[in-house]
Amino acid sequence: MKLKQGSFLWYLYLDKLYCLLSVRNVKALLEYFHLLDVHHNNTLNDVLFYHFLRHVTSWKRTQIMIVFNMLDWNAMGEIGFDQFYMLVCILLAQQNHLEEQFIFRHSRPVFELLDLDGELRIGADHFHMYNFLFNIKKQELRELYHDFDITGDRRLNYKEFKLFTIFTMDKYQEKQKAEKEQGKTAPLKKKRPHRFILSSKLF
Amino acid sequence: MTRRPSQSPGGAQGPRPQPARLLLPESPRPVAALVVCGPQASLGSHGSDDSSPDNDIRNLWTRATLSQPELNVPRSKICDDSDAEGSSLGSKTRQWYSRKAGRESDGGWEEWEDGEDKDGFRREGLHEHLSLEMELLEGAGGAFQLRAGLGFLGHLSLLLPLQLPLPLMEVMENEALEILTKALWSYRSGIGRDHFLTKQLQRYIEGLKRRRSKRLHLVTY
Repeated sequence: MKLKQGSFLWYLYLDKLYCLLSVRNVKALLEYFHLLDVHHNNTLNDVLFYHFLRHVTSWKRTQIMIVFNMLDWNAMGEIGFDQFYMLVCILLAQQNHLEEQFIFRHSRPVFELLDLDGELRIGADHFHMYNFLFNIKKQELRELYHDFDITGDRRLNYKEFKLFTIFTMDKYQEKQKAEKEQGKTAPLKKKRPHRFILSSKLF
Repeated sequence: MTRRPSQSPGGAQGPRPQPARLLLPESPRPVAALVVCGPQASLGSHGSDDSSPDNDIRNLWTRATLSQPELNVPRSKICDDSDAEGSSLGSKTRQWYSRKAGRESDGGWEEWEDGEDKDGFRREGLHEHLSLEMELLEGAGGAFQLRAGLGFLGHLSLLLPLQLPLPLMEVMENEALEILTKALWSYRSGIGRDHFLTKQLQRYIEGLKRRRSKRLHLVTY
């Protein structure tokens, strides 16, 4: 999923550490939410919500309605600002490839969002249904349930899920470290031609 | 658009236990948790896209000098234009917005930050503003819960400019207009042209267009 370039959300950014918006960004987002709140209920109904997501993302109708049902945790048929804010954070995390960090930092809210039935356990089918939100691939999902289903009930409780988030966060940080080290060695190679040019000018 | 029971794939009916939100846990109604980040320990780039300085929202913020008092038509005016029946927030909200616009036309928050106390009206205005805001916090709920959230910052919250920069407002309004225009088509096909919600949306869109054209007109001349 990519946010539409030039859209309002495209200009927002998450704090890299906490994966949340700053106060100023929240203020702007609140104004934006109120612009869309045409009926002055401090909510967006399913039609407004659908057109908003259709405009700013590349998601299809089924995906949008899955997200709507997930966020409509009060079953009111409307989305308030709290849910809207959470959605925007998820979108921005995906846009900026911060899914692992986001799930790690906000493991409890994410777990409870995925726990559709309120049973304090997540089945593989729930995860699979929402993998477009958090970019979890099928292979990773299989590994997840193989490695972290300690209780063996083929579902993850919160502790197992938390372990998974810690593990993926460690992997993510190792990957970042490796990329950083690769980045350090690359400029050294580039500098030599420059020195050569300088030295050739001097002599 | 009718209220309906949750349609979770598991077949659960009715509301689910509410997930822990990104919020201040003691709020009776959840408020988005606010992280006061400084001059933005953030990404600065948008994934794999190359970001130019013009695309960064911080540039929109720094063009705040483009905001001119005459262009800031308060949202209350749109509400007046678009919905004669009034908003759920009531007339107090509109009064608050009108007073805010009136103060801004005299120069805005910057003069207060400078410590100048030009006349008694301003001091009185600040008290009035705060007391009115407290009334709204107590009475209205809803949108102003976020102001309650901002209130936890104490006096620091007054330092936050309440008026967004003009370029940012333009981006937001243009996008909202596009989204709402498409939503209007859905309303018409779904519930008909004569439904009060369709008419309310239509009036709102017209109000938003009028505000935008007024602003463009003032910028041009």
